[in-house]
Amino acid sequence: MEQVEEMKATRSTGRAIIDCDVHPYPKSVDEIRSYMQEPWKSRYRGSGRGFFDNPVHGMRLDATPPNGGGAGTDPDFVREQLLKPFGHEYAVLMPRAFCNLLPDPDYATAIAAAYNEWLADTWLGKHNADGVFKGSITIAHQDPHAAAREIERWAGHPHFVQVMTDSGARAPFGQRQYYPIYEACEKHGLPFAIHPGTDGMGINVQPSPGYPTHYIEWHTCLSLAFQAHLVSFLTEGVFERFPGFKIVLVEGGVSWLPGLMWRLDQEYKALRYEVPWMTKRPSEYLRDHVRISSQPLERPDDDGHLLQMLTMMDAEHILMFASDYPHWDFDSPKHAFPKLPDAMARRIFYENAKEFYKL
Amino acid sequence: MGRHVVGNAAELPPGSRKIVTLENRSIGVFNVNGAYYALKNSCPHQAAPLCAGPIKGTNLPSKPGEYRYAREGEIIRCPWHGWEFDLTNGKSLFDPHKCLVKTYEVAVEEVREEQEEPSVETYRVQIEANKVVVYI
Ligand code: FES
Repeated sequence: MEQVEEMKATRSTGRAIIDCDVHPYPKSVDEIRSYMQEPWKSRYRGSGRGFFDNPVHGMRLDATPPNGGGAGTDPDFVREQLLKPFGHEYAVLMPRAFCNLLPDPDYATAIAAAYNEWLADTWLGKHNADGVFKGSITIAHQDPHAAAREIERWAGHPHFVQVMTDSGARAPFGQRQYYPIYEACEKHGLPFAIHPGTDGMGINVQPSPGYPTHYIEWHTCLSLAFQAHLVSFLTEGVFERFPGFKIVLVEGGVSWLPGLMWRLDQEYKALRYEVPWMTKRPSEYLRDHVRISSQPLERPDDDGHLLQMLTMMDAEHILMFASDYPHWDFDSPKHAFPKLPDAMARRIFYENAKEFYKL
Repeated sequence: MGRHVVGNAAELPPGSRKIVTLENRSIGVFNVNGAYYALKNSCPHQAAPLCAGPIKGTNLPSKPGEYRYAREGEIIRCPWHGWEFDLTNGKSLFDPHKCLVKTYEVAVEEVREEQEEPSVETYRVQIEANKVVVYI
């Protein structure tokens, strides 16, 4: 508690922050392996995304801890470099297990489970005396029933605040094979977070028409998957079937939202007949069920355009700040946004997440 | 506003850098192929410590499908988002007129060393040496 007070005192942004996307990494592959059983234990080598890797660097180069290890592996250094200077009250951790690209659902489920055990033991356990770290339950959506069991296993944990998956998938997330996952989320009041990753890799389709060539292309188009998933959630009636179910789109882009909703609301007028379970216009589901995190925030040359866009999308109620620390495309809480109206800033940087995650 | 000796020229060989604080400003001093440059250590984008970034070459503008890698050692990339800046003038490669980082004048001068903290056991000595000097 004392440490939290101290953080509030030293913050330099002048406001409390809840950061909805911070990445913790294990110190080594062996650390994850130690939470696995055979036959997976000896099979697991850890893996990244494979192709489409950043040509510059994947991690902020100044995020390497001075005491050794890779970026994001040292909870104390994350406190030192991110939480204290900016005034973070909570950091929502999103581990990168990359298990969603694997064809073998049992193996993928074993990796997800190991990541959850590791996170609970370390970042949410022995390195979390001040409670600033909140975690995400990693699931393998390849086996939705196993995923639901994994959610059950952790739902009672005080520091896991959501369920997470990569945006890479074999089918849009509104479809019914995923419902065991959503049922478990709803039962335990855990939002379902989608984070970019494994799109077009392993078993997953690429949301652009075919495979792009360059990282710039792949990275820009990551937001396409989010749009497809969101439309699917809405039109399949997931929020009607699971009225308490909520989702958060993390790192999927922000400014496409108004255009997409206008389009969908317009389509709804003519095509409602096809999806009669939608009792409201698509945009009306947003406030109750959907949150979007800010990073990477599109930054037009004219700040006025961004401010208008934030108003159009009702950012005051649905946008939550995220930094994506320690990844290369980190957004600084001090510089990612133009000057916002006070009330809007407070909600984006703090209150929306506080309510959403019941912190 | 002033003149600051930041070190011996011999200690800053080509390809190397030194990050110093002068008048409360963090500044990176670089030796690029024998010429010296100084840049403000703050990226114009989101204020990352720019001068700590990797020093590289770059791909020059070229026809589609062609790569012309050149200017090795003259380009610094931001340690956060990797924007490229020309060490010799502080300008970003993608928008040199609008996106640039502040530069400072650097000179190599013969400086008469003034003895610091003289004590009874030492004698005052004067060494002539080439010093890197930053003007801000
Ligand atoms: S802060 Fe330097 S490129 Fe973004």
